[in-house]
This record gives sequence, C-alpha cells and structure tokens, in this order.
Amino acid sequence: MKSPPPTAGTFVSLAIVVIALAGLGYLMPGLSRTVIESFIYATLVVGLGVFVGNTGIVSFGHASFAMIGAYGAAWFTCCEGMRQVFLPGLPDIIAAINLPLPVAALVGMGIAAVVAMFAGAVLLRLNGVAASIGLLSFLFMVKTIYENWDGWTSGQSSLVGLPMEVGIAQAAAGLIFVLCLALIYQGSASGLLVRAAREDEVASRSAGVRVWRERLICFTLSAAITALGGVMFAHYLGSISVVQFWLDLTFLTLAMLVVGGRNTITGAVVGALVITSLRDGLRTLENGVPTPFGIAEIPEGVQEIALALLLLVVLVARPRGITGGREFNFFR
Amino acid sequence: MNLLSVKGLSVRYGPIIAVRHLDLDVDVGEIVCLVGPNGAGKSSSTLAIAGALLPSAGTIHLDGKDIARQPAERLAMAGVSLVPEGRRIFGRMTVQDNLIAACLPGRRPFDDPEIFSLFPILRERMGQFAGLLSGGEQQQLAIARAMLRKPRLMIVDEPSLGLSPRFVDIVFGALRQLRNQGVSLLVVEQSARRALGLADRIYLMRSGEVVMTGRSGSLAQDPEFEAAYFGKEAAR
Amino acid sequence: MNLVQLLVDSLALGSQYSLVALGIGLIFGVMRMINFAQGDLITFGAYMLVVPTVSDVAPPMIAALPTPLLIAATIAVVALAALLTERLAFRSVRRKGADGPTLLITSFAIGYFIQSVILFLNTGRPKSVSILPELSQQIVFAGVRVALVDLVTIIASLGLLLTVGLFLNRTRGGIALRAAAEDFLMARLIGVKADRVIAVAFLVSGALAGAVTLMFVAKTGVLDFRMGVPLAIAGFVATVIGGMGSLTGAVLGGFALGLASTLLQSLLPPDLRPARDAFLYGLVILVLLVRPQGLFVFGPGRERV
Repeated sequence: MKSPPPTAGTFVSLAIVVIALAGLGYLMPGLSRTVIESFIYATLVVGLGVFVGNTGIVSFGHASFAMIGAYGAAWFTCCEGMRQVFLPGLPDIIAAINLPLPVAALVGMGIAAVVAMFAGAVLLRLNGVAASIGLLSFLFMVKTIYENWDGWTSGQSSLVGLPMEVGIAQAAAGLIFVLCLALIYQGSASGLLVRAAREDEVASRSAGVRVWRERLICFTLSAAITALGGVMFAHYLGSISVVQFWLDLTFLTLAMLVVGGRNTITGAVVGALVITSLRDGLRTLENGVPTPFGIAEIPEGVQEIALALLLLVVLVARPRGITGGREFNFFR
Repeated sequence: MNLLSVKGLSVRYGPIIAVRHLDLDVDVGEIVCLVGPNGAGKSSSTLAIAGALLPSAGTIHLDGKDIARQPAERLAMAGVSLVPEGRRIFGRMTVQDNLIAACLPGRRPFDDPEIFSLFPILRERMGQFAGLLSGGEQQQLAIARAMLRKPRLMIVDEPSLGLSPRFVDIVFGALRQLRNQGVSLLVVEQSARRALGLADRIYLMRSGEVVMTGRSGSLAQDPEFEAAYFGKEAAR
Repeated sequence: MNLVQLLVDSLALGSQYSLVALGIGLIFGVMRMINFAQGDLITFGAYMLVVPTVSDVAPPMIAALPTPLLIAATIAVVALAALLTERLAFRSVRRKGADGPTLLITSFAIGYFIQSVILFLNTGRPKSVSILPELSQQIVFAGVRVALVDLVTIIASLGLLLTVGLFLNRTRGGIALRAAAEDFLMARLIGVKADRVIAVAFLVSGALAGAVTLMFVAKTGVLDFRMGVPLAIAGFVATVIGGMGSLTGAVLGGFALGLASTLLQSLLPPDLRPARDAFLYGLVILVLLVRPQGLFVFGPGRERV
C-alpha cells in the first residue's frame, strides 16, 4: 500500500509539534540541548528519508552530503580573519567573503546538490542493493578526499572557530523549512512517479516514467536537505571534523529513519525525536544520576548497544516503524 | 478414494481475488485437468495447493490431513510435486545437478532407469547446462525432477505450453504412464481439446471460479462445455 | 617495484578480499541480501583471540592454543557466531516476509551491534596480539624477498576457494545451495529446506570469515573494533563489480580489487597515496557505470526486481 498523499495538513501538524517542542525547550533550559539536537538530527533524517522513503533505495552515502554542506558553509562563516591560517588552500576570493549563516547554509546546500547531481547521475543507473553499495563507495571516496584535502578542510584534524549561531529558534526554523521542501516534493509529480517506480519499477518504465531522471531529482533534493542538517550541526557545535560524518552518523540516521518509519516524513521526524531523547537519557545515566538510594549509573557504551538492539527489535516486530507508515495529520 | 480434497479455496493478491471458493478432488491414480482461459486462476490454485502461496481461505486435505498452511518443502516431503508454470529449471546448473538437487536423501538419479526410459534424451544431456536445452527438453527435465521426489500427487502447470506436437506427445505419454503407476495428477491445460484427450476428469475455471466439471467422456459430447469455456457472450 | 613482489602483494590482498566476497556472495545467493555483518564477524573472531578486558594489554585466549587448535577454534567460533546471527535475527525478519531494504538494514544493525559489544568489552583503543609467529619471517621466493605470511595467505585461500568450489559442485548440500541461489521457491518445491540451506550458507560464510580473521591478524597483529569494516566494504564492492549473484564473479572481483589497490599504491605519486582509496572507489564507480551488470557476468544482469 502507498503512503497517503502528504497534505498541507501534515505540514501544519508537524510544524505545530516542532514549535511546541521549541517552546518546551525555552521553558525548561535543561531540555534545550536535547531539543536542538533532535531538530538537527530530524533535518538530517528528513533528508535521508526523502530519498530512501520515496525511492526504496537504502542510502549509505548521505553522511557525505551533511559533510559537504557543513564544510561548504564553513568556508564562508569560519573564523573571521584567521580563515586562511586554518585553511591555507582557500582562494583569496572565498577567504574574503563573510556570509551570514542563512546565506552560507544555502551555499552549502547548493554545493551538496551539485555534487549529488553528478554522483547521482552515475550511481542511480544502478538498482536496489547495487545502488546502496555504490553509495557506500561514494561515502568512502568523499571521506578519503576530504581527509586529504588539507588546505580546504584541515584534513584529519578539526576545524574550529565556527560561529555557534544555531540555537532552538534557528534549528526549529531549519527543520520547518526542510519539512516544507520534503512535503512539497512528496506531493509533486516527480515524487509520485518516483514512488510508483518504488512499487513496480518495470511497470513504471513501461508506462513511460523516466525512472533515472526522477530519482536524480529526488536524490539532489534529499542531498540539499541533508546538507542543511550538516550546516546546522557544524554551527551548533562550533567545530567540524571529517569523522563526525562517517559510519556512526550513517548508522544513527538510518536507525532513526527505520525506527520512526522509513516511508514517511512523519517517521523521519518521530525517529529522530525518539532516538535523540533516548540517547540523551542514556548519556545522562552513563554520567550518573543521584537518587535517594545512591547514584544510578550505567556503564559507558550501553548507549550504542541499546540503540542497535532497539533497531533490531523494531525491524523484527514493527518493520514499518513506530508510525506504521502513516503521515501525522491533526486535521484528518 | 480422494487423495487430494480442496474445499472453498480462495487466493487473493491484495485486493484482487484470483481464486474464489474452489472445490476440487483428485482420486488416487487419475488425471484431473484444470482447464480455462488466461487469468482464470488455474496457476494460482496450483501454487496454493503446493504450498507456494498462502490461501486466504479454504482447506486442502491430502490423504485426510489438512495441508493448507504447510510450507512448500514440507509438502514436497509429503509427496506433492509441483512442476510450475514456465518450468523453472535451474538454468545455470547442469542437467545432472538439476536432478541431484531433487533427489531424496541417499538416492542418486542415475539409479532411476524409469526416468531415462521415459525421457532418453536426458541421459545424453546429463553434462550440459540446463539453460541451453530446448523448451521440450526443459519440460522433460522439469517433470523428471518432480518424479525424483516419488510423488503421490504431481501437479503440472501447462506442460504443453510452447512445445511442438512431438514433445507434447512425449510429455503427455509420460504423464499417462505415471498415472498407470498409481500417481495422481492435476494438470493445468489451456487447450480444452488437449485436456479432453488427456484427463479422466475436468474442471473448467473462469474468472477464479469453477463453472463446469465432469468426466472427459461426457464433457466431450456436451455442447455447453465449449460455450462455458469461451463464455456466454461468445457462445451466443 | 618488482613484478614478483607486486604479484605476491596483490594476490595476498586479493585472496582476503575474495574470501570475504565469497562469504557475502553465498548469503546473497540464498537471501538476496548483502550481509554487512560479515566484516564484524571477522572483528569478532579477532577479539576472541584475547581475553576481553578494558585494559590496554589483553592476555591471549584462543591465541594461547597450539597452532592447529587455534586455527580450528577461530574458524569454529566465527562460523557459530554467523549461524547465531541467522537464528536470532535474520530468521525472524525473514519469516515476516521482509523486503530487500529491511534485510539490508537488519544486517547493518547486527554489524553495529557486534561492534558496540566489542567496544563495550574492550574499549576503542587498538590492542596488539601475536598469532602464528612462525609466519612472521621473510623468505626468498623467485629471487625476491617476500613475507611468508603473504605466501601462506595465498595458498590457504586458494585451498579454501577450491574446497568451497568442490562442496558446491560435488555434494548434495552444495548443489541444493546453488539451486536455492538460482530459484529459491523452486528449490523449496523440490524439497530443499529453506531454513537449512540458509543456515548452511551462513555457516560456510562464517567459516570463511574466520579464515580471514587468521590471515589478517597474522599479518597485522593489531585489533581494532572496526577492523573488519574496510574488509567488508571491499567484499561488497567485489561482489558488485563481479556481478551480483555470481560466486565466481565475486571471487574474481576480489582479486581484481586487490590488484587495482596494489597497483594504485605503487603507481600513484607519493603525495596522492594517502588518498588511494578515493581513487580505488572512484574506479569502482566507473566500473559500475560501464558495466552495471558486473565485470564478470556475460548476458543480461541478474538481480531480481
């Protein structure tokens, strides 16, 4: 069965949830970190979900786009005056330009979209599992390039001194923006065609759907959205490094998507919220929580095991995720 | 005595109903043909009986035991062999390996002179890749493979499809010989004429339902049989 | 670089890759699933060589056994672990009629689970372990000094490939496995037991992973909780460029990848060598573009839609 057609109702419903959570973050400062992180992860996962959900192809390459976006924006925001000290390879013209974060974010998204268009043109000629492995090769390739492209990325060390401008409001705005993009795409002709090809590729082809072209549009958009997540991540932490956008992020975002429900935008958001909260809870426990009976504490590393187990349980018991494959909508 | 007894069998693909309330019996040592035009639900019925498809309703009894929800390999062990539509031989394996894969544990296909007396061509083709055989040879291999299971009930889906008359004779001859040895056969056939020549009894299916049934001899005389096959509009 | 040296290097690397690829290909055949956990099973085997501990120096466990027992125990432990992943996880997902992406993500989750448990028990700091010390010498071969461990890796791999080949072609179980890989439903219809044939695939695949553990650790002597990942990636890539669903293709793909990797290492200018993998994977994507059905598959592509 196909997912119900996403409507403005779904967008408004999800936006209300985001705004309510943002309000909660303001009222309870102890939760603000969790709220911001879950918004950023949700942005990343929505990007991944736009591709995985609509095409049915599992992508192991999207962390690359988060990285490409993050560095792309950082080239225009990082460490004013000191930029060419940290990134000696940057041309003078780039080093001279300082962009406000929203504009830099658009630049990062644009770079990621262009890379996605070229990479996708090649990789999306493959099908199913082969495409997934192709995307994994892409992840490795981009990681190796960025690690060795010292002049532009400071290589294997971190790039520090990014303006930490992403707070609750900015993260919420970013997430609502990508929700809008993702839902418009789902309702568009291209979104419909790409989902038709997911259900039955042979039939769609014979009905004249240019599957490769539609998938490429989908891939490019999803890369741009993921890139915005990367930009927000970078400007929330204030520093970036290549390993932040590697297998851990790939696993985490995929787990969020699957736990939430991989065929819907609601699933992407719910998965990100649930798993971020869970991780924060476990992280707090790992650091020890005082209770009347002494300090409650769990050993370090339980977090990762719990996440893997949660994902396995969802895969076995509820393969369509917590949301069960339905978009959230107040107005239905 | 009934070897196979199907009651109220229904098969659905999502919202589409392929087979509706099928009742069908096969006695020990008889050939029953399932006849009907394309899309009548014949293949879906055979797949459901052989355990390759889960029926949405109904019971299937083999020798009095309900087998409706048993997996395909269990039924293969219980003596039900299906030669499915399109034969589905293992094209990238040799003829010999195709046969070995179907062997009962502890048996070798080379010990089975019966197969080679029915299908002498297979002996010559033993070392060849099955995918390189002609259509008629592939059909013989598919039936030989099913025979190695020593079935009590053999279900054959469109054995004559795409075969030259010479191969149809060989294949049908083999099916008759199996019947004479006490094997029960359920054969899907699109051509009513061929079915009348082969079967002891016939079920005529249209649009997922049995519309007529009877012994071949009496149906052959019955003008309504042809009309039912082609549908009422065509008969008028 | 000397030609013999180059040949030994690329064969030693290629034979590890091809064993991993064969293990992945066997499971792909019967389940149409790329098993991400294959690399982490290699890691698991490596960590079973030592006693799990959070301290930096780990006392030997399986590594303390005499050589023949050490080899047998490592292979057995990994094969058993592979079987367990099937029993405990894949089987439940499979029984629910899971689609390709779900199976793929399941294997990814299992891989991550194995990594997390190893990380939890041993920490993320690399450890060293020494096994098969008799292999850590150089010998003169065809006028060139080469590492004995490389020669033994090549010979053992060829032996294993031959054994698996014989199993697949000469035994009933192997023939049933090939039949299931070609047409799973038809194999069941002629009485091949689905659960058993998949279990056999996991067992053989696990045994191959165990063998790779031994070769890899004997050469490097280092344990890391992600050590298997690059090997698994190489294995996936080898199965894809070799042609999905073809075991011969997977093996040849592994050797091709080993050769390409070694050649790039010696041909690239020194300042580009650290980025060798970027070139390697770029090459892989290029191959996929030119021959999406795989390098060693002739005729139409085989992946089922």
